[in-house]
Amino acid sequence: MTGRSNGAYPVNSFVVRILGLTAFGILSVFFLLPLAYMVVVSFYKADPMAFYQVAFTWENYQKYFSSFYLNVTLRTLWSTALSAVVVVVVVLAFTAMLTIVELSRKWQLFWVILLLSMMCLSEVIVGFSWLILLSESAGIPRLLGALGFWDDPRSLSPSFGAMIIGLVTLGFSVVSLVLYPQLAGRDKSVEEAARTLGTPPYLVPFYVTLPIFRQSLIALTLTMFVYLLGVFVMPVMLGRPSDWTMTVMISDKALGDANLPLGAALAVVMLIITGALLLLSLYLSRKRTV
Amino acid sequence: MYKTTKAIGFATALFASAATANAESITVSVWGGFFEETLAAEVYPGFTEKTGIEVKSIAQPEDSTWMTQLMAAARAKKAPADLSLVADEVLIRGNNAGLWAKLDPNNLTDTKDLKEGYVKLDDSNKAYAVGALAFYTTLVTNTDYTKDAPASWADLWEDKWDSKLGIVTTPNSGLLEATAKTFFGGYEIMQTREGLEKVIAKIAELKPQVSLWYRDEGQFQQGLEAGELNAGLYYHDVAMLSIWDGKPIASNFPKEGGILSNAYWVVPRDSKNISATEKFVSYMSLPETQALMARKLGIFPIVPRDSMDLTDEEFSAVGSEIEAVKVQTEIHLREGDWLESKYQEMIAQ
Repeated sequence: MTGRSNGAYPVNSFVVRILGLTAFGILSVFFLLPLAYMVVVSFYKADPMAFYQVAFTWENYQKYFSSFYLNVTLRTLWSTALSAVVVVVVVLAFTAMLTIVELSRKWQLFWVILLLSMMCLSEVIVGFSWLILLSESAGIPRLLGALGFWDDPRSLSPSFGAMIIGLVTLGFSVVSLVLYPQLAGRDKSVEEAARTLGTPPYLVPFYVTLPIFRQSLIALTLTMFVYLLGVFVMPVMLGRPSDWTMTVMISDKALGDANLPLGAALAVVMLIITGALLLLSLYLSRKRTV
Repeated sequence: MYKTTKAIGFATALFASAATANAESITVSVWGGFFEETLAAEVYPGFTEKTGIEVKSIAQPEDSTWMTQLMAAARAKKAPADLSLVADEVLIRGNNAGLWAKLDPNNLTDTKDLKEGYVKLDDSNKAYAVGALAFYTTLVTNTDYTKDAPASWADLWEDKWDSKLGIVTTPNSGLLEATAKTFFGGYEIMQTREGLEKVIAKIAELKPQVSLWYRDEGQFQQGLEAGELNAGLYYHDVAMLSIWDGKPIASNFPKEGGILSNAYWVVPRDSKNISATEKFVSYMSLPETQALMARKLGIFPIVPRDSMDLTDEEFSAVGSEIEAVKVQTEIHLREGDWLESKYQEMIAQ
């Protein structure tokens, strides 16, 4: 047995190395090289009469620090962070509901399949569905009007709320599929012990269950934050121009105005800000646990 | 490393397959949607019948996005299409960037009927673009909401649309020019940045009334037909198609004029089928073809009216005698980034 595994080692490490190199190669070609190219382009000079000129200028970065882009950045961070928190809270409530009813295996499977199929829908389809649901002619407002709850039904999109609903829908299935198995399969004896020792039952989730999952909840919220930061369709489809995020501005500049250098510079700054924020929040959450 | 080269090879092969190598066929790209479908179904077959050259029709995205893609393709020495339809701004920017192939005017004799200035010649007397068609942007209204046709662009500023206006987000929609002509006595004010700021401030007054700022025309159309929008800036040709389809829509030419824009055929530099493309633009310039496009697509022809057999009714359906509002492309190009940023800030702030 020992002999065999010893003999197998060189092969294993060779395979591992090849796999590692392949992964690195793929990462370089499809991620690092485009990223490097983006950084390079962000220093080029845009040419409104043609395309761009190869140059080295800080001009594009200076534009970022005009009040407008700073404002957009702030509201992007705000709406994305809000959606990330909301989606995790909503999923927690949803999961809690499911675990309370102690579903049979068959029903659990049903929910997992439903959530998986939700993940298959593209952003555009989710956005469009909400657009119809929130519209005055075919959706919720009309229903409320017909039921007599709303005298003058009006379309609920585009609006900030509609955009947040869209973002939350996008994140919902992902977060559920991560959280649900964890919560459903948790060790319930800890909670029982807490009750036996006199914790009021309605406080158990807050004193015991949530703190146990604290790390994974924080990690999930941060993941959602980064994921939702890059969403393009929801702000454009469901938000007003005053809700548009940096993603929309970047694509507007890079594609809509064919000003690739400015678009690249905006993207680079957003990348740095996001990275810094993530590091900061990870650092803070670790520090508190210790 | 081998894998990398292979992946790149595969990607290039994918890209190359878009441009056809067959001499007897050309790939033509125009703005996607009904426009592209109608051209492919009603107009291109006549060309194939006449010349034996097959046309492969593809849809292209919005102007600047398409230019960015053409630019990337040109760097790889590929042409995603042999012919492409572009508006003024992209035509000029693309030409300055050397994106367009040069055509021989001697092979373009059939373009003689085009109004003056539609065959764009460079310094060496070669053609880098040929006019394709013109199209109006008008003040489109929902007739279920109001039967009154607005008489002036100024009507947009009146508080009578129930906060349901749809306006284009890009500054080159012609709204700047229409505003300048309506409120500031002409385009003169647009010559300076201070002037442009005044015009933009005037447009900003529309904001409380605007429920949709759009880039994608499909979104406007859907909103208008569903009663989510009562009026807005929209393309006359697509509006006419909806009207012919029985939708409750009216396309109105205000007294200051509709906004007239031109579209041109260009040949991406790396196309291998130059001679076939020359035949194509020639065919598209014939008065018969222009009249056919007016009837089927609702676009405004760019050959003199008396060269076509359009009836009065057909002609008035696609345009108007009122002097049109013209997009000041030089100003848009000169002020490029500054103007776009100011406009975007006005909308998004």
